[in-house]
Amino acid sequence: MSQRQWRLTRRGFLISAGLLGGGLALGVRLGWPEVQLKIAEFAEAASPTSFGGASANPTAWFELTPQGRLRLYLPKVEMGQGVMTALTQLAAEELGIAPAQIEVVQASTAQGIRDLFGTAGSTTVVSLFKPLREAAAAMREMLLAAASAQLKVEPAALALSAEGVFVQKHPARRIAFSDLLAQTSKWEVPERVPLKSPEQWRFIGASVPRLDLRDKVTGAAVYGYDVRLPGMLYGAVLRPPTLEARLRRVDTSAAERLPNVRKVVVDLGAGFVGVVATSRAAAQQAIAAIRAEWDEGRRWEQEDIDRIVTVGDEGGVVIQRVGDALSELQRGVSLQAEYRTPFAIQTPLEAQAAAADVRPDRATVWVSTQSAALVQQQVARAVGLREDQVEVFPTFLGGGFGRKSGWSEVAVEAARLSKAVGAPVHVGWSRAEELQHGFIRPPTHHRLSARLQDGRVVAIQHEQASGNVLLSFVPGIARGVVGADFGATRGATIRYAIPHRRTIAWRKDLPVRTGPWRGLGLVANTFAVESFMDELAHLAGADPLAFRLAHLPNDAWGRRMAAVLRAAAERAGWGKPAPQGRARGIACSTDVDTVVAQVAEVSLEGDSLRVHRITLAMDCGLVVNPDGVRTQAEGGVMWGGGSALLEEASVRNGQLVATNFDRYPLLSIDRAPDVEVILLDTLRDGQPRGVGEPPMGPTAAAIANALFALTGRRVRQLPITPTRVRAALSA
Amino acid sequence: MELLVNGQRRQVSDESVLVWALRDELGLTGTKIGCGIGLCGACTVIVDGQAVRSCITPVRAVSGKSILTIEGLAKGGTLHPVQQAFIDYQVPQCGWCMSGQIMSAVALLEQNPRASEREVLAAMSRNLCRCGCYVRIRAAVLDAQRKILARKEGNA
Ligand code: FES
Ligand code: FES
Repeated sequence: MSQRQWRLTRRGFLISAGLLGGGLALGVRLGWPEVQLKIAEFAEAASPTSFGGASANPTAWFELTPQGRLRLYLPKVEMGQGVMTALTQLAAEELGIAPAQIEVVQASTAQGIRDLFGTAGSTTVVSLFKPLREAAAAMREMLLAAASAQLKVEPAALALSAEGVFVQKHPARRIAFSDLLAQTSKWEVPERVPLKSPEQWRFIGASVPRLDLRDKVTGAAVYGYDVRLPGMLYGAVLRPPTLEARLRRVDTSAAERLPNVRKVVVDLGAGFVGVVATSRAAAQQAIAAIRAEWDEGRRWEQEDIDRIVTVGDEGGVVIQRVGDALSELQRGVSLQAEYRTPFAIQTPLEAQAAAADVRPDRATVWVSTQSAALVQQQVARAVGLREDQVEVFPTFLGGGFGRKSGWSEVAVEAARLSKAVGAPVHVGWSRAEELQHGFIRPPTHHRLSARLQDGRVVAIQHEQASGNVLLSFVPGIARGVVGADFGATRGATIRYAIPHRRTIAWRKDLPVRTGPWRGLGLVANTFAVESFMDELAHLAGADPLAFRLAHLPNDAWGRRMAAVLRAAAERAGWGKPAPQGRARGIACSTDVDTVVAQVAEVSLEGDSLRVHRITLAMDCGLVVNPDGVRTQAEGGVMWGGGSALLEEASVRNGQLVATNFDRYPLLSIDRAPDVEVILLDTLRDGQPRGVGEPPMGPTAAAIANALFALTGRRVRQLPITPTRVRAALSA
Repeated sequence: MELLVNGQRRQVSDESVLVWALRDELGLTGTKIGCGIGLCGACTVIVDGQAVRSCITPVRAVSGKSILTIEGLAKGGTLHPVQQAFIDYQVPQCGWCMSGQIMSAVALLEQNPRASEREVLAAMSRNLCRCGCYVRIRAAVLDAQRKILARKEGNA
């Protein structure tokens, strides 16, 4: 583990002089993004220490390695969203060397990852945009000053290369970083650290190619499932047959007699039964040979759950109140409609996986996780070590989507088994485990009511019920005081300039574990609100685009929404006839300060809805890597499209039904729409905004609205399956 | 049991399923695992020129045959045109499905070099990508197809 001693400078940087095996380092500590502060607040109410305070160590830092290279330790993980490249671009800009020339290292918990929020919520580039550039600029200034003293040339006449510092006019006059290292203990962080102005930028705003792609097309990239350690064994864990099953008795004698089994671990109190074997197949066989007796609990059915997830009883929390919608609606409701979205499963293509090496006095864990610092806490607790004795190395993630945030069951399983057997153990979940035993997206129910007057909406109410999203991770005591789940209600409030608005949310505890899914409540809430706006437009006899534009607020939000709506509509040919047999629908959403509008073009093949094209316009402020943002938008559309057409999990006979992709189908390339992405920056305030989740928002609503435009029938329940289309057409 | 993997003779235990023999026994972790029952394509390798789902292939079924995995696709540092196209179009997001996507595309373009766009989509539809890279997978495979054809015609 790194044992650096950090010293805080006047400007708030952290500096650490060269030590044995490590050169000079400079870093910054990050503030917490807003949502993280919220979580901390809630959690602190229950257990004051769990979210920790400011740490003495930096979260993002540069190191001048003893080999004379510049290395950047990344405090966020690469799960396909391109942060490794985007963050390196920020650093490269200030260092003045190409992104590919910086050595980029994923920090472990001992090296920088300390924030319990992890990599989530589309916050990475936003939160690091300034601090990372400042750290890079300070590093640059220190290197230039040191080289200046040696070369006897003004710092302003010098520049950095990958290996050292050179005189700009005479590149042959240079000094290698390795020759500067000896002096580093005397270095001071400069008082003034000027950041480059946007006109000087070469890398920010450029579609710099992803740094991790060569390894990802040659099979060289190492993910959690790929970790291999000398002497590593394989673990597997017994899973309960039902949602509420409690282990009563277990007979492991047959499993223990199997030839390749090294250890069977039983902890009845914790309901944990695991095995360690010399291969995955042997571990699975051993699990199959265990005879367990369970209290199976209630045999839940999907209908029971849908009944729970229903709006309208006591206990709702009002999360938006503008004017007096209730009184206005009492004077008459022009339209009321109900919508539902189902359980859905993140199911990243790389299932949960971790390798753990637990020794008496320390533990090392390699894991595919969005939340390394939480895993560190969990593992420490599970194997009885202090947190500082546990180091967690996040690997590349084969997809995260919220499933690899928060708790990591698999890291704890690997750690417990490693401790028991005294050797490194790898545990990789199967697809069935991933689909039946993780936490998943909760179902939602929405009732919207509105009153129209002279073609305008004067009052609207959104009643929303959802299973827990973020509050599943907050201790029960705190949950009691919190009220609404701010994850579940993402996208639920009404942004339109309607004089009387009310949004009320119900949080429902369910027998199925639920938690974050890409965008949290965004897809469900936008589906409901934007379908309903469409219904109101048709009731008012207005064009859905014109109706939305007519209801935009007269502020920055309204201007940004107008810009994306107009841009998407124009590019999609809104107002012109669609190709034969097709129709278009429009929707928009606002999320993490990013505004998105989409136009869907659909047709029917029999009862099956086909989405041909999505035209997406997004205002996400300053864009660090345009091609990277487009990629995120394209992926977001596929997520929105999958939710719109296919994704639905359900409970039968006390258990989640699907165990593989046959019963939980994902969107495939032959059903994927064309996607066109338009990027706007209307505010031009130099601030980037989140792009990982917002693009998913409007897709399902735009598709449902297009189906209505095509058929005059509306499907108010996701996914829009052939059965539901048939029912709507024959109703 | 002996397997011929990327031109090398390697020993694996004869009870194994190919994907685990490659990954856990031989350390060739470039071949991924997604579903374990032949539905997602993440584990695709090429056996005697055919795309094969290694998660449902016992090693016994492929002994003596020539197995190509993602690690053996580039020739002396030069990427295969499909790999190069996947970089040119910046296709991978998380990358977990990509070995399978690339191996499926390589096998398809070898067997049916003039596959129509519809045939390409039909063949690739059995390779799932949870990150939703489909727009770019399509563009990259079609681009690789053009380049492979152009090169063949140039040589002819
Ligand atoms: S892992 Fe083999 S097809 Fe999915
Ligand atoms: S790139 Fe992530 S599954 Fe395809």
